[in-house]
Amino acid sequence: MTKPALRTSSEVPSNPSHEMRNALACIQQFGSILIDGLAGELSGEQREYIGIMLENAAKIRSVLDSELAGTDGLLQESKIKIERVSRREN
Amino acid sequence: MVKTRILVVDDNPAIRKGLSVRLRANGYEVLFAEDAISATAALVTERPDLLILDLGLPAGDGFVVMDRLQKNDRLANIPVIVLTGRELADNRDRALQAGAAAFFQKPVEDGALLFAVRKALDLSRGESRFDE
Repeated sequence: MTKPALRTSSEVPSNPSHEMRNALACIQQFGSILIDGLAGELSGEQREYIGIMLENAAKIRSVLDSELAGTDGLLQESKIKIERVSRREN
Repeated sequence: MVKTRILVVDDNPAIRKGLSVRLRANGYEVLFAEDAISATAALVTERPDLLILDLGLPAGDGFVVMDRLQKNDRLANIPVIVLTGRELADNRDRALQAGAAAFFQKPVEDGALLFAVRKALDLSRGESRFDE
């Protein structure tokens, strides 16, 4: 009996850039909603932490904008290779 | 005073929720649709003042929605702002040629989106030019 050595195709996003952009958009949207006080007043410490979160979300966005578009094809290629790998159980 | 009504079309419920909070905080009434069919139906029945449209949708993509919009004389003047996770290279020019007033790739800065909303509404009402 053989089984996939790694994840199945259903666990791998079909479009990594698109999936990451949607997830990042949610982080940015709700972070800015919180920091702007639209969901209630925050303490100074809470604002600081959300600010750190948003700064790092912006860094991820910068990476996405500059690099991931060019690697999407590589990721798709890797996915195909992963799906073909299997091993025989002992 | 009647509020300006914006139809948000996105299949991601968290994106819809986040946009809703931001738009309502800026005085807009927000309507929702999560696929191309319900978006088209909402355009006809609700006649929103503006559409914020994702491109990757179930039951037909955002281009299908824009095509149906453009072919309906009663709806063709509703401004469309595209907000998508899709790649710029394949979609920006196509969306603008299809009639979109603005195109943003996710994630978008709130200020930039709200500015585009105001400008697109002004343009549709003949109050100013959209020259950004």
